[in-house]
Amino acid sequence: MTPPDPTSRRRVLGYLGAAAAGAATAGGGVAYGLGAANRGDDRAAEARRATHRAYAPHGDHQTGIVTPTPAVTEVIALDLEPATDRAALARLMRLWTGDIESMMAGQPIPGDTAPEMAQSHVSLTVTVGFGPRVFALPGLQAQRPVGLIDIPPMVHDRLDPQWNGGDLVVIVAAEDPTSVAYASRRLVRDAESFARVRWVQQGSWRGTNSDREPVTGRNLFGQVDGTGNPQPGTQEHDDTLWARAENVPAWFVGGTQLVVRRIEMNLDTWDQITRNEQERAIGRTLDTGAPLGKEREHDELDLALTGPDGKPMIPMNAHARLSHHSQLGGRRIFRRGVNYTYPRVVDGRMVPTSGLIFLSFQADIAKQFVPMQKVLDAGDQLNDWTTAIGSAVFAMAPGWKPGEWVGQKLLR
Amino acid sequence: MPGVMTKTTPTLLSAPRLLLALGLAALPLAACSNSTSAAPGATASASAPAQAAIIVEKPWVRSTEGSKDTSMTAAFMNLTNPGDKDISVTRAESAVAGRVEVHEMVTVDGKMVMREAKNGVVVKAGKHEHLAPGGPHIMLMQLKQPLKVGEEVTVTVHFSDGSQQVLKAPVKKFTEEQDTYHTHEASTPTPQSSSPQPSTSSQPSTSLQPSATPHDDHGPSATPHKH
Repeated sequence: MTPPDPTSRRRVLGYLGAAAAGAATAGGGVAYGLGAANRGDDRAAEARRATHRAYAPHGDHQTGIVTPTPAVTEVIALDLEPATDRAALARLMRLWTGDIESMMAGQPIPGDTAPEMAQSHVSLTVTVGFGPRVFALPGLQAQRPVGLIDIPPMVHDRLDPQWNGGDLVVIVAAEDPTSVAYASRRLVRDAESFARVRWVQQGSWRGTNSDREPVTGRNLFGQVDGTGNPQPGTQEHDDTLWARAENVPAWFVGGTQLVVRRIEMNLDTWDQITRNEQERAIGRTLDTGAPLGKEREHDELDLALTGPDGKPMIPMNAHARLSHHSQLGGRRIFRRGVNYTYPRVVDGRMVPTSGLIFLSFQADIAKQFVPMQKVLDAGDQLNDWTTAIGSAVFAMAPGWKPGEWVGQKLLR
Repeated sequence: MPGVMTKTTPTLLSAPRLLLALGLAALPLAACSNSTSAAPGATASASAPAQAAIIVEKPWVRSTEGSKDTSMTAAFMNLTNPGDKDISVTRAESAVAGRVEVHEMVTVDGKMVMREAKNGVVVKAGKHEHLAPGGPHIMLMQLKQPLKVGEEVTVTVHFSDGSQQVLKAPVKKFTEEQDTYHTHEASTPTPQSSSPQPSTSSQPSTSLQPSATPHDDHGPSATPHKH
């Protein structure tokens, strides 16, 4: 199905669209379905679309985790003000929930000073999480999810405190920087009474091909990045991501844990090696992302394959081999990377800075991410060109239903 | 899994379509009168005839945190009149305030000032009206408690068609210069009353004293005004 011209569904009601907005607000999820009923949309086609999406904020899990990565992502970490206790944090979460529900529906938030900026169908998602210090607040010490630990120091780390830690995280993602800037500003503004911004990381992703179909996307090394993610709808996907009742405090069921690693990439030295060397470092081809020795991106790795020289097709220190679940006792993560690149001016010259904001989601950081990272730190050939310069961990709250608010079960 | 909203058709909603939307979305709420949605920012039930009732959305109340005068604040919201008759906001009440007034904006000597809207704030048929900083608003006076950011305040708004709506309004920090809505019409006649001194940010109008004379003929908000 050819996607309809996006301009044909643009909201012309704008700020004065109180009526449509009111209906959506009063009716909760009901109103979201009106358009489809009227238009007879092909829902399956809609679900495959990578752009012009309007995600509903409610569900068992938050959006922005397994939803397609849109062009722009901003990750904002905040620190709680000293006076922000459990009750105050609850008030912030109520405010943010109202903001998120409004903005994801393309509506201005209450008291919005730039209401015309709110637009629907910009694939906006907002995802909220709690850093370790939240679970040091009085009344919350028993609620820390098992496995939520800071990443132990790795040999290849060169951590810069400006990218580390944080008491809260909010991930804002949409199709364009303007929409992200609007949503981020409103969220940070409403948090002013409770928290200060600690760091902000901005990244981009190209998750569509030239036919506007969703694709895995590439990091700045040119590698197809994220192929190995467990596919939504599978048991391994759910097992990888979502906290289960038997393992965690009740409030966290349906939540997930996030590791944010800011990974600087040395494109200059990467460019100096041959294409063959680049492919052997990752263990996949650069053109399709297929495992070495295979044809297509999603072909399963065959780690036993050997080349004409009798050596493994996928070298022993290749990233794809070392990070494969078969080599990690079945451990998996769900990765969502976004690229960053910006020029710094150094002594009158433009010096590019490039890297990856590596968002790793998993049910248990200690059991899944840390063992994997130790293996990669010890042997991954990509370490020659990558350096972690920031690290932070968060417990991403479960989703919420209409009438509830994010983190309600933890903070009420 | 998160659900997916589908596209809405881009039309300026006419009154009939608007009512259709209301009928689909709001009537179930209206059926359980006076129940309130817990969703922050959501409007609550309408207890009056659903047809042509005013649609209220995005209500919020300004926090008293950081205010010079923590005895008063204001409630704001967006109003839509889907019907074919003008409807006014006539009065309001809230458990957090000893006194509540509906205020409007007028030009006095070339300067926009606020004053009590004796005839209410009109939402014309088929139009919107925004109660917002710098414009008409619902003044909450004689506050009984500080209003912290992120709390929820219940405000009941009454309309000239006899309907009323119970709103759950989040308390939010004021993000504009306070003076934009703190400048009210001078209430105490002075020799300069015909040409009031402009208020400055360092000297906001003091005319909002709850006991100021022009308001004295109005009882507490529990007593409905006559209009």
